[in-house]
Amino acid sequence: MPAYYLEALTVTLGIILLMAETFCSCKGKSWVGIAAAVGLVAILGLTFTAIGPEAKPTAAWASWPLWNFYQFDSLARFYKIFALVTTLFVILLAIDFRSILARFTDTPDSEAGTGEFYALPLFACAGMMWLASAKDLAGAFVSLELVTVTFYILVAYMRRNVGSLEAGVKYLILGALSTGFLVYGIAWVYGATGTMRLAEIANCLPHLTNTTPLLFGIAFVMIGLCFKIGAVPMQVWIPDVYQGAPTPTTAFLSVGSKAAGFILTIRFLEPFLASEVTRGPILTLLLILACATLLFGNLAAIPQTNFKRLLAYSSIAHAGFLLLALAAWKPETAISEGSIKVVSFYLATYLLMTLGVFFVLAQVRIQRDGETIHDFNGLGKSNPALALALTVLLAALAGVPLTAGFIGKFMVFSLALDAQLWPGIVVAFISAAAGFYYYFNVIRAMWWRDSHNAPSLILPPISKVCIGVLTIAVLVCGIWPQPIWSLLK
Amino acid sequence: MPSYLFWLFSVIMLAGGAAVIAFRNPVASALSVVACFVGLAGLFIGLSAFFVGVIQILVYTGAVMVLFLFIIMLLDLKDEEKSAKPLVPIAAGIGLVAAFTMQLIGVLSRSPDTTAPALDAQTFTVAAAGFPASSKIATNLLSGKLPDVHLIGRTLFTQYNLPLQILGVLLLVATIGVVVLSKRQAD
Repeated sequence: MPAYYLEALTVTLGIILLMAETFCSCKGKSWVGIAAAVGLVAILGLTFTAIGPEAKPTAAWASWPLWNFYQFDSLARFYKIFALVTTLFVILLAIDFRSILARFTDTPDSEAGTGEFYALPLFACAGMMWLASAKDLAGAFVSLELVTVTFYILVAYMRRNVGSLEAGVKYLILGALSTGFLVYGIAWVYGATGTMRLAEIANCLPHLTNTTPLLFGIAFVMIGLCFKIGAVPMQVWIPDVYQGAPTPTTAFLSVGSKAAGFILTIRFLEPFLASEVTRGPILTLLLILACATLLFGNLAAIPQTNFKRLLAYSSIAHAGFLLLALAAWKPETAISEGSIKVVSFYLATYLLMTLGVFFVLAQVRIQRDGETIHDFNGLGKSNPALALALTVLLAALAGVPLTAGFIGKFMVFSLALDAQLWPGIVVAFISAAAGFYYYFNVIRAMWWRDSHNAPSLILPPISKVCIGVLTIAVLVCGIWPQPIWSLLK
Repeated sequence: MPSYLFWLFSVIMLAGGAAVIAFRNPVASALSVVACFVGLAGLFIGLSAFFVGVIQILVYTGAVMVLFLFIIMLLDLKDEEKSAKPLVPIAAGIGLVAAFTMQLIGVLSRSPDTTAPALDAQTFTVAAAGFPASSKIATNLLSGKLPDVHLIGRTLFTQYNLPLQILGVLLLVATIGVVVLSKRQAD
């Protein structure tokens, strides 16, 4: 099957669900979410049969001009699978979160206003999938905007909740600003190289007489991309928006949006990092961004008392580690995985850990009506199995050995060691140590603090299965990471 | 374009942009945006991008800004109240703008100046060679006219075909978003 069917199917699924939701007079809306999840699983299955034009050059579709805009390599397939899996879990999370969603939309006592919340992530997913295949900056920009515009809506979705509205306005204003930087930077890159196609940019780099305008443009594009991946200097929005947005949206933002930002960063920087002309200044820029992001994310996370806000800072911290892997640039060779694969692997483990934590957080939010660390008190006594799962997930986020998080962090450190980035290594070490402190703070609250007659949580079946699957995946990938590597092949 | 026209339109644009922030009355701010867009349209036309210049006036100034004015009047927005101005953010803002301007000047002073090719018969003939001989674009170019609507359309539908289709999905999502976020409670 030609690869471009995947996006077309995702968008079609979204449109069909929107129509069905509008014309169906049924009271509940959770069936929209279940239908979306089933459809996503089907598309995910088709991903493994999708092929590019190289695999079947004789087919009629292989010579279509569409392939001027669209590529399908192993990296594109990996990030398509990533987008589909993230969206699947986010929609499942939204189904269990619908009581809170319904409370803050149209009619508080019915689910009438929640239908679109299940359909919109599909469009964002299609945007992320197109982004992974983009061959030129125009296509990448349009796909990225599709993702961002969908997020503007999803963040402000609970419009009767002041926090969600405030988050929506903040995200909109800062998002528009970062888009401005991105477009301005792309204009400079286009002006300096005369093309927006990434492959042609790589070709014209050796002939450049003056790289100053190009570097100026790259700096602006990086500011725009830092907004999407949540890195310094555009990290200010993250805590407020993550805290205010509905929890499924927060999970989607912290995993899906970040991965979309990173695939674009990788695709955009790859030609510049491969060329001697521009590599030096860009690596310096990446190292500065990585160190600042690591320090900001980890040190500001220490005093947090709200768990959702803590996860926001943790997401900044992980962006720092990922940037450090790029700053220690190493192309892929026969004996070692390059920076790109390490970043992708790290993101995959980050998906498993973060989505698992958000499933638990959503249930605590619904059943204990709070998101602070105190609301996790006594979870070890009332729900030992759930507390154990959350302990595993948090330990993985901190980077404890035998979990998936450790392998990701270990590979980032070994890349940085190979590249002799001593300032980066020192900062990353301090950050990892700070990470242990604030993640274990939550674990301590669960096991060592007593709750005063807080009810024990009753997990709905979907959440139970998802938390179980994600926790086991974190443990399995910690010992046997081959499944993720085979996806990257 | 003659350089005095360039300076005239640039000054109109910059003054309009500054006035948007300076005015406290939202209607005055919206009208300043109109002035800014008119200057921008003038610059586009001066650069021989006639279609983009006209669209700038028709769509942005004519439609979008008039809608803005309608909304401002319907919501009956009052003048923005004067707030205390903390020194630190203003100083940081000025610092950032200064750093940006310095960098821009530095980059521009290091790049060699190049002039755009003049729109004369020779340029047209060279450009027409890139299109089929009997096509509308080629005949127009050879007779000394600039078929910029056709050229833009052709570029959009050939060189940016997939991005254009993705934009369609984006517009759909934006429409749904507006409905979802502003839907009134049904009784």
